[in-house]
Amino acid sequence: MNFTFTPDQVAMRKTIVDFARQELNPGAAERDRQSLFSRQLWDKCAAMHLLALPFPEQYGGDGFDFVTTVAVYHALGYACKDAGLLHALTAQLICGLQIVLFASDEQKAALLPDLAAGRLIYAQAMTEPGSGSDAFAMHTSAQKTESGYLLNGAKTMISNAPVADRVLLFAVSDSEKKAFGGISCFIVARDAAGFSAGKAMDKLGLRTLTNGELVFSDCQVPASALIGRAGQGAMLFTEAMEWERTLIPACLLGEQERILEESVRYARERRAFGQSIGEFQAVAHKLARMKMNAELGALALYSAAALKDQHKRAALETSTAKLFISESLKQAALDAVQLRGGYGYMTEYEAERELRDSIASTLYSGTSEMQLNLIARLTGV
Amino acid sequence: MDTKNAIRDFITHEMLRHALETPLGDDDQLVESGIIDSLGVMTLLSFLEERYALQISGDDLIPDNFSSISSIASLVEMRRTS
Ligand SMILES: Cc1cc2nc3c(=O)[nH]c(=O)nc-3n(C[C@H](O)[C@H](O)[C@H](O)COP(=O)(O)OP(=O)(O)OC[C@H]3O[C@@H](n4cnc5c(N)ncnc54)[C@H](O)[C@@H]3O)c2cc1C
Repeated sequence: MNFTFTPDQVAMRKTIVDFARQELNPGAAERDRQSLFSRQLWDKCAAMHLLALPFPEQYGGDGFDFVTTVAVYHALGYACKDAGLLHALTAQLICGLQIVLFASDEQKAALLPDLAAGRLIYAQAMTEPGSGSDAFAMHTSAQKTESGYLLNGAKTMISNAPVADRVLLFAVSDSEKKAFGGISCFIVARDAAGFSAGKAMDKLGLRTLTNGELVFSDCQVPASALIGRAGQGAMLFTEAMEWERTLIPACLLGEQERILEESVRYARERRAFGQSIGEFQAVAHKLARMKMNAELGALALYSAAALKDQHKRAALETSTAKLFISESLKQAALDAVQLRGGYGYMTEYEAERELRDSIASTLYSGTSEMQLNLIARLTGV
Repeated sequence: MDTKNAIRDFITHEMLRHALETPLGDDDQLVESGIIDSLGVMTLLSFLEERYALQISGDDLIPDNFSSISSIASLVEMRRTS
């Protein structure tokens, strides 16, 4: 067991930290205020190969292992104060990983180069107005036709939806089988007839990420739009969640480490009753807990990432990492506001934005309650 | 223990939450009867991949391959010889 980064990973992380601070952070507060997704910053991230890291070189990727990808996104989460942009990037990578794992060679050759270069933006559409946690209770249908499939239904809250050029859509292709064997995954182009995307939904946090509705109304797609085999959707999604529940927490852990660092600095500098507030045990213990959670989160994260690198099953480990890191981040962000007193509540400072951004992390990619259900089941309860 | 019995044993003791009145047959429908769902498959895969030192991914991850103990055993045999 080796818990240290390689010299190459250290160098990559340093480059990414410098990049994020110089290129991504300026204007982050204003973009949040305006709910602005910046295509220009997306392109800059793509130029830094942030969307190419884990994909095979033959398809325009960089061919890095998953642990390295996770290490880079961990550094990005630490340095980049635009959490919405980070979420948009990870949504793209998750779509790409599903294509790598399940698409045909022709589909990989057709789709991955534009995805890895960030030329086209991807969204993954599972959630519907009537089904979120109970994802496989979806109603969007994919009816087999002579030339392919006819899609009907609506998806909601989908990350990148308002700006997406391509959507990985999950739909019921066999209502008899429904959840297992009845759901398939399709790639749908933005200009497909019968497909439309709604406006960006206004949100509490992650305001630079666009989320929205997708509507499929007699949308005809060719048979070649099917990703994987017919009926493979639920397994594809379950597998994809293991990668997602590692990659997104990498960013969340980085954010938590930044919050800790800034909170320690503040606790040392801010004085009350003739001493720095960090000397009060009530404050110091908050920081100690943040540190402990960050250390444990890192262990959970990299052990899950190492398993996925070896293409091993890691439902338990990835859910544990996602649950622990997201809940720890939310608590850290709340504590960071508390230890800044009234300043923590003012939008002029960053703590309130970090708190708003952190709240979604225990909702998306499976709520905390659903992670606990899953962990309980995998523990044999 | 042969492959089918090892699979039967794992499903019965590790995946099912309640005791069965009759033991699982080789051709009992696992998916249709709800004994196996997508997460269940992942659990079963962990067991198969570790026990038989093989990897099952991509095209093999289709419900038909997990519909019964016989079909799971066939998949294992196929991957062991390939
Ligand atoms: C920022 C953001 C980005 C998102 N991006 C995407 C995306 O890209 N693609 C996509 O498909 N979806 C996306 N979603 C949707 C997200 O996956 C769902 O919101 C989430 O799965 C929860 O579903 P729901 O909102 O319908 O809540 P519900 O499922 O209605 O749950 C409501 C509450 O009930 C609890 N609950 C439900 N069932 C159980 C149970 N069995 N046991 C215990 N408690 C339970 C939940 O934990 C929750 O607290 C995104 C959401 C957000 C906030």
